[in-house]
Amino acid sequence: MSLAQKRKSKRVDCATVCPEWGCRQPGEHEGIWVVGEVEGGAISEPSLQMLTPARMVANKLGTFVEGVLLGGDEGALRAAASEMIKRGADRATVIAGRELSEYAPPAFAGAIAALAAERRPDVILLSATMRGREIAPYVASLLRAGITADCTQFDVDEDSGDLFMIRPPFAAIMLAYIKTPTRRPQIATARPNVFPVPPRDEARDGPVEVRPASSYVRAPPGMRLLRSEALRRDEVPLEKAEYVVAGGRGVGTKEGFAALEELARTLGGVVAGSRRAVDLGLVPHERQVGQTGKSVRPKLYIAVGISGAAQHVMGIREAGTVVAINIDRDAPIFRSADYGIVADWRDVIPALIREISARRISPGKGT
Amino acid sequence: MGLTIAVGIKWVPNQQAVRFDERTGTLIREGVTSIVNPHDLDAVELALRIRDRYGGKVVALSMSPPSAVKGLEHVIGMGVDEGVLISDRVFAGADTLATSYVISSALRRLGGFDLALFGQETIDSSTAHIPAQVAGWLGLPYLYYATEVELDGSGRKVIVKRMLEDRAEWYELDMPAVLGVAMKSQLPRPVKLSNKLRLREENPIRTWSNAELKLDQRCVGLRGSPTIVAKSTWTPEVPRRRQILEGTPEEAARKLVDALFREGVIR
Repeated sequence: MSLAQKRKSKRVDCATVCPEWGCRQPGEHEGIWVVGEVEGGAISEPSLQMLTPARMVANKLGTFVEGVLLGGDEGALRAAASEMIKRGADRATVIAGRELSEYAPPAFAGAIAALAAERRPDVILLSATMRGREIAPYVASLLRAGITADCTQFDVDEDSGDLFMIRPPFAAIMLAYIKTPTRRPQIATARPNVFPVPPRDEARDGPVEVRPASSYVRAPPGMRLLRSEALRRDEVPLEKAEYVVAGGRGVGTKEGFAALEELARTLGGVVAGSRRAVDLGLVPHERQVGQTGKSVRPKLYIAVGISGAAQHVMGIREAGTVVAINIDRDAPIFRSADYGIVADWRDVIPALIREISARRISPGKGT
Repeated sequence: MGLTIAVGIKWVPNQQAVRFDERTGTLIREGVTSIVNPHDLDAVELALRIRDRYGGKVVALSMSPPSAVKGLEHVIGMGVDEGVLISDRVFAGADTLATSYVISSALRRLGGFDLALFGQETIDSSTAHIPAQVAGWLGLPYLYYATEVELDGSGRKVIVKRMLEDRAEWYELDMPAVLGVAMKSQLPRPVKLSNKLRLREENPIRTWSNAELKLDQRCVGLRGSPTIVAKSTWTPEVPRRRQILEGTPEEAARKLVDALFREGVIR
C-alpha cells in the first residue's frame, strides 16, 4: 500500500473518542495548510519559511500544499497568496472582508477553524510568531485537535501517514517524535528561522479562491485595538542580524556586555544572550537565543562565556560559522563550534576588535 | 460586587536544580524540589493589583498532583483569596488540549469570572498554549503579553496594554476575558505572614477531583490527549569543525580573524 493509501484508509474507533469533541476519521482529511501572515501589505518571511516543511511533507504523502490567508485587504491577500504559490504552495484560499480587517484572536482563529471544519485539512502549520502563538492554540481548542509547539523538524510516519512533529522536550538533547494518530487536523508551529524560505519559482501557478469573511466570522470578537505605539528601536532585530555576539553567565556583568556590544558594533551586528544571561537581567528576553528564546541564522555567531546547554545550541543550528570563546576547555559549546578559543573573554574580545579594525584599515594584511 | 479574577498556576520542577543526564539524554528529576512557575507569579501579582484597585476576589487554580497545594498556599500568602486544587489520577498524563479542557471546565464550575489570567509560559515546557486554549474552549477574547489592565467606565470592559517587541498596543476587551501576562512585567509581592495565617483559620483551599467536575474519562488525562510521543531519538548534531585555535589570546584572536576574512565571513 502506498503512503497515500495508508493515510486514506486510516480509521479511528469512535467509541474511544471524547464524545463531546466528536469523532473524525483521519482518512477523510486531505492537504497541508500553511496559514500565512500578512504584515504591511506583504506576506511575512516566517510564513514563507513554513512552506519548506509543508512541501516536504506534502511530497512524501502525495498531497497538496495550500496557503490560507486572512485579512481585510483582498488585494494584498491575493498578492500574498500568489507569492506563497511561487514558493511552493499548490493553491491558496483567501478569507477577506471587514470582519477581519482588524486583528483579533477570536475572529482569526474562528475563521481558520470554520474553514478547516468545512475543508478538513490533514495538517495545519503556522509560524510561532507573536500572532501565530496566539492563534494556533486557540484554533486547536476550537477544533478539539492536538497541537505541538515549536517543532524543529517534521517527517511522516511511514507506517500510518501520520505527521511526525519533532521537537526537543524541554532542555533535553533527545528529540521527541510527537503525533496525533486519532485526531485531525494535525496542528503544529515552528519558531521563525528554524526553516529557510523556499526559493521563488516564477513558473509556478495555482488557483486562488477568495471567500467572504462574513461567512467565516460568526460573531464579533469582543475585543478591538484602541491604539498602537511604535517603540523606538535602534538595533537590527535579532532574527535579521548577520552578526550575533552572544554572552552567557561567563560574561556575568553589564560591563562585560558593554565589551560584547563594542565587538558587535565593529562587526555591524547585535548582542544576544543565553537564558542564564536573561535570568541575570543582562539582556532582555527578546534577545535570548535558544529553545525558549529565538532561533537565529546569522553568518557569524560568537558565543562568549556560554557553556553550551542543549537548549541554547538548538537556537544556533542554522547559524553559518559558530565561534566559541570560553575559559573552560571542557565546555560543551566547543562541540557545537567551528572555531574555539580557550581563554578569558576579557583578553580575547579587545584583541578581536583590534584585529578586525586593523584589517579593515589595511585590507592587504594577513590575506 | 467586585470582580472575580481567576489565575492559573502551575507547580513545576525547579529548573535551577534540574540536572541533565548526558548519557541518557534525559532530565534527572529525582530529589528536585518544585516551585510555582515563576512566570505565573506575574499573573498573580497583576490579578492582586486589579483586585486591590477595583475590589473583588482572586481565585488561584492549579491542575496538579496533591503536592501542588504548597503552590496554592504560597500565592495565598501573597494575598490570593481562594485556591482550587484540581487533582485526580484521571487527569494525569494530559497534553495541553486535555489540560486546558479540564481548566476550562473548572473555570465554568467557579460559576462566572471576569478575568482569567495566566503566566506567559511555563519554565518546564514553554508552549504558551494553555491561556489561548482556555480562551478557545470558552470562546472568549484573548490577548497575551499583557502588562497593564484597567477597567473602563462601564465596568464591563477592560483596557489592556501589551508590549510587543516593536510596539505597545492598547486593546479593549469585553469581560469575561482571558489574558496571558508578560513575563517579568510585574514585581510579585512577597508572602506575608498575616496572609499565611488565613490558611489555618479559614481553610481557603478547595480540592476538586473528577467527582466534582464529572468529565468523561475519554476527554481528560492521557486518554483525552490527542498528542502522543511516538518515539525519541538523539538530536542529530550539526556538523561543526570544532577547531580549537591555540596560543595566547592575542595569537588565537589573530588566527580567528584571519580565518573569518579568508572564508569571507567578515569583510
